[in-house]
Amino acid sequence: MQTVKMGPAPSAAVANHGIPASGIPALPRLERLREAILAAPYGLCTQKAELMTEAMRVEAPQSRLAKHLAPLHFDALRKALEDNLASGAPVERWQLQMSKRLQELWLRLDQRAQTQPLVVSFAKALAHTLARAELQIHADELLVGNPTRHRVGAALHPDYGGMLLMPELDRLDARAVNPMRTTPGQRWRLEHEVFPFWFSRSVMARGPLFAADLELPNKLTEGRRFVLTQFAGISHVTPDFPRVLELGFVGIREQLREARRDARSDEQAAFYEAGEIVASAVIEFGARWSRRCADEARRLEPSDPARAAELRELAQILARVPAHPARSFHEALQSVISTWVAVHQESFQHGVSFGRVDQYLWPYYERDLAAGRIDRARAVELLGCVLAKASEQLPLFNQMATEFFSGLSSASGLTLGGTTNHGATGADASNELTSLWLLAYDRMRLRQPNLHLRLHERSPRALRELAFEIIGRGGGQPALFNEAQIIPALRELGVSDEDARNFSIVGCVEWGVPYSSFPAAGAGFISLPAVLDEVLREPTLRSHVALSSLMATIWSAFCERLAETVCEAVAGNDAIERAHAQCRPTPLLSILVDGCIEAGRDVTQAGARYDSTGIQGVGLADVADSLAAIEELVVEQGRLSLAELMRAVDLDFRGHDQLRSRLVEKVPKYGQDHGRPERWAAEVARAYAEELRRHRNPRGGPYAPGFWSMTTHVGFGARLGALPSGRAAGRPLANGVSPTNGADSRGPTASLLAVTGVGGAHVSNGLALNESLDPQLAGGPTGAALVDALTRGYFAAGGMQVQYNVIDVNELIDAKRYPDRHRGLVVRISGYSAYFNDLTPTMKDELIARASHGRPGAQVSTEGAL
Amino acid sequence: MSGADAAVVFDVQRFSIHDGPGIRTVVFFKGCALACRWCQNPESRRAQPELAYHADRCLPGCRLCVSVCPEGAILDRMNERVRWDACTHCGACVDTCPSDALVMVGEQWTVERLLDAVLADRHFYEASGGGVTLSGGEPVLASDFLSAFLPRAKQAGLHLTLETSGHYPFALLEPLLPELDLILFDVKAGGRERHLDLVGHDNHQVLANLERLLARDSGPELELRMPVVPGLNDGDASLDQLCATLRGLGVERLTLLPYNHLWEAKLARLDTKQTALGISPPAKDYYRALEQRFAARGVTGLAPG
Repeated sequence: MQTVKMGPAPSAAVANHGIPASGIPALPRLERLREAILAAPYGLCTQKAELMTEAMRVEAPQSRLAKHLAPLHFDALRKALEDNLASGAPVERWQLQMSKRLQELWLRLDQRAQTQPLVVSFAKALAHTLARAELQIHADELLVGNPTRHRVGAALHPDYGGMLLMPELDRLDARAVNPMRTTPGQRWRLEHEVFPFWFSRSVMARGPLFAADLELPNKLTEGRRFVLTQFAGISHVTPDFPRVLELGFVGIREQLREARRDARSDEQAAFYEAGEIVASAVIEFGARWSRRCADEARRLEPSDPARAAELRELAQILARVPAHPARSFHEALQSVISTWVAVHQESFQHGVSFGRVDQYLWPYYERDLAAGRIDRARAVELLGCVLAKASEQLPLFNQMATEFFSGLSSASGLTLGGTTNHGATGADASNELTSLWLLAYDRMRLRQPNLHLRLHERSPRALRELAFEIIGRGGGQPALFNEAQIIPALRELGVSDEDARNFSIVGCVEWGVPYSSFPAAGAGFISLPAVLDEVLREPTLRSHVALSSLMATIWSAFCERLAETVCEAVAGNDAIERAHAQCRPTPLLSILVDGCIEAGRDVTQAGARYDSTGIQGVGLADVADSLAAIEELVVEQGRLSLAELMRAVDLDFRGHDQLRSRLVEKVPKYGQDHGRPERWAAEVARAYAEELRRHRNPRGGPYAPGFWSMTTHVGFGARLGALPSGRAAGRPLANGVSPTNGADSRGPTASLLAVTGVGGAHVSNGLALNESLDPQLAGGPTGAALVDALTRGYFAAGGMQVQYNVIDVNELIDAKRYPDRHRGLVVRISGYSAYFNDLTPTMKDELIARASHGRPGAQVSTEGAL
Repeated sequence: MSGADAAVVFDVQRFSIHDGPGIRTVVFFKGCALACRWCQNPESRRAQPELAYHADRCLPGCRLCVSVCPEGAILDRMNERVRWDACTHCGACVDTCPSDALVMVGEQWTVERLLDAVLADRHFYEASGGGVTLSGGEPVLASDFLSAFLPRAKQAGLHLTLETSGHYPFALLEPLLPELDLILFDVKAGGRERHLDLVGHDNHQVLANLERLLARDSGPELELRMPVVPGLNDGDASLDQLCATLRGLGVERLTLLPYNHLWEAKLARLDTKQTALGISPPAKDYYRALEQRFAARGVTGLAPG
């Protein structure tokens, strides 16, 4: 049984750089930390919402007129939101029209009431927040920082899309999936103080002002053809942690001061002023933490002198970082965590990633090791504390978002291994830290952060052995990325060779340039089967009788409709991004993304060196299987006409059991490597990529196509009728680039190869392949060697990415029935892992289906397949 | 029937990891001269493609197949669909069946098609030190076909393994030897009479072929395997005779293949005379004890795990 309870001591296999996995002793501190996090109830955090509102009332006050009139609009909007979200009914056009007019009015009034540039107002609001945020030190931790006020909590961001939660606030405590603790006081303050201030200034409120399409708000909540996410925030970025370690915020503030002297415009000057304000705020934030640790040390001195000593050390570390350059490994890690926490008091919690942590932290570790200031066990303990911190944070999703993004991932990615991007091309970059991160993960096994391992042809064998043994123990980490395929995909997007070779994973699976790009990688998801569905509803197409031209006719209609859908989604996203640029600058994030200081511009206003926006195509396998089914049954076999087939599809196959059975059982599916469905999948992927790449975002960067789904395939599927593939109405679509559940019946080599056709240089925003393996097959040293070989074969054949879910289907079934017995069971969902207990019931069922594919393991082949 | 151009293959199974080194594709050839009472693949015995019926896949209320049989061999009963005595295995019913309940086991494969199929996983063979395994049935009966197939496969750099019962004229095997890398050679039981009783033929030809293989000083590696069938071929007398024979041939070790009874579920689907044995999987320490019993007879018998 593949549990992820505190992992058993790893086998005696020798890890990378001569570290025996078993050479790291038991680390009870990490065990206690893990238990504390697993036991913590989830809480709603409104600290940022309240403090920022308090500050913005002063820094960016509402006009007097708005103060008097806005409450009426707020009440109307609130009612519309409640009706709309509760029933899924679209908001009436006249209401949208009216609302838009009023929003335009508030915007004009707001702008007139402004006493200082907006970016400065937001900088001061962040400073206010950081100066007053509660500071909690938890038992055992060697690194401090609170993403929220709860041990494990979700922050509400009223400046982005937080208001969407308003209709569900009263039910948050009691909802069946992902309940969150709230207090009556919190709810009252949100409803009476926070939302009334932000309802007219949030990105969600202002997005429609920048859209030509009046119906955009309805389309956002419809969730049938596409979903756009960035009204909830952009994030999905890897801040320049190396620069923080090298310069500290004092050094960065110095850069800003210098740049300010040469400012060429008021906008630039305002940006630099805001930058200095937030840099100073983070410096003071560190100092506050230092005092807090010192106070706590004094308090504990009599009762627990050992802990007091640890806290005194932390007080010293925080007196130094993140203000100044880090000198030791411990300082470096605390500096990264303090920065990461501060960024989350400004930006929403999705995909704020750590970059190549084994690279930029290496000099600090190496120096400490050489000086005898640290040993490997201590290093693992410190890294375990980083991993624990990253898991303290949850995203806040309303009911609809929970369906589309089940599993509570806030998708902080952490990238390991790979080659160097400087000097000799392709020298292996892994080091002892690479292994230590993996070993620390193996001890913690929490749902977050996402561990990503870059692999190449010369990745050290010992590192691979360690990684695959850890994968074999379940939990879905680390995910594996093939450099040989990914670097060209980034170059194709316009990234320089050196930067492409330095790629890291932003969030789930999105490859991008760390420290200097604003990739907006999770901006939206488009349901490809919904496009096909619309095309196949056309009566003229259905009555097309010339079989020789049928597929070409369907294909060109599909491409045409795909182009329209992409245009619509892009236009909607453009509006949201323009709203960000005009209404919600993020000065702290901006001074941490290379390019912004030189340009004197916020990340939302194209300050970063690289800009792009990622939108994902979802349900590739369902489209491929549907097209293949039409081609085989209608065109080739002439068994029935397209009109007949579609009539059965319209009826969700009621009364057409035989046809549905033939579609499901006898027509080859994508993932079985028969050829035809795979060719369609490759064509659909290329058509989607080509269509999306035609567009540029408001920051002037390309739109980058990706093929991963989180759980949007469940949300889209629930809103879509039956398909010619035989998929019944309402059922989930296929996830990521994976075959539909059960279609991987010809074993992993066939499904892995099927996927390679979809990949290539056109996939610039990542793809996710979820491969479920039985623990009997993938566990232990033999299993590790086997899965390693499987991965090397897949990568040699052109594979880009894979993550293995090593799970015992019986354990999942038991966990669905008895959640309490399986606390801490971690499973891979998409580009991220989650506690099984946090998933929606539909998603639990899907994981059970994924793990029970026709062929659970390798065959004992003295047995034929009859 | 298999010829030089095509052979009847009933399964091409990818990602197999128990039939030779690494990740392998196993090709199952149809047709075998033996009639082992525990045959794992009862569908492999006939040389020609044959009909099979999976009652569990049959769609309730469907009945599409009932009227299409030219022999009237399809019954209107889900539990007993085919009158095997009337079935000619023509396959006319298979296409009408929408749920894969009626299937043909085995079809003609050309050399080209089989090459394409096995080369699909070449990256995985390279990464794992794997390759292709010929199994069955008795693949050597398709010697003509393999004489065309194997050199092409070898040329493509594939590691080639043969799983064989050893029961055929050596002349069929001989031309294949230069291309093979490994032979997994089954020995089923000790003693001529017992062999005849359990597998339908005495072991004269098997042993003669084994002797000739052992006498070669070049060519494929040879590994002997014994499918263990508790109660049938593991008695003291059988072991005594088997080990004496092996020692006589200079064989020091063989692999013991643990028994599994999954094949019994196949019987109801097939036109076969093979009957269930009802042997339950032996207790945990059975194979360790068996290893010791072999050791006591001067042969190293190794059971996996």
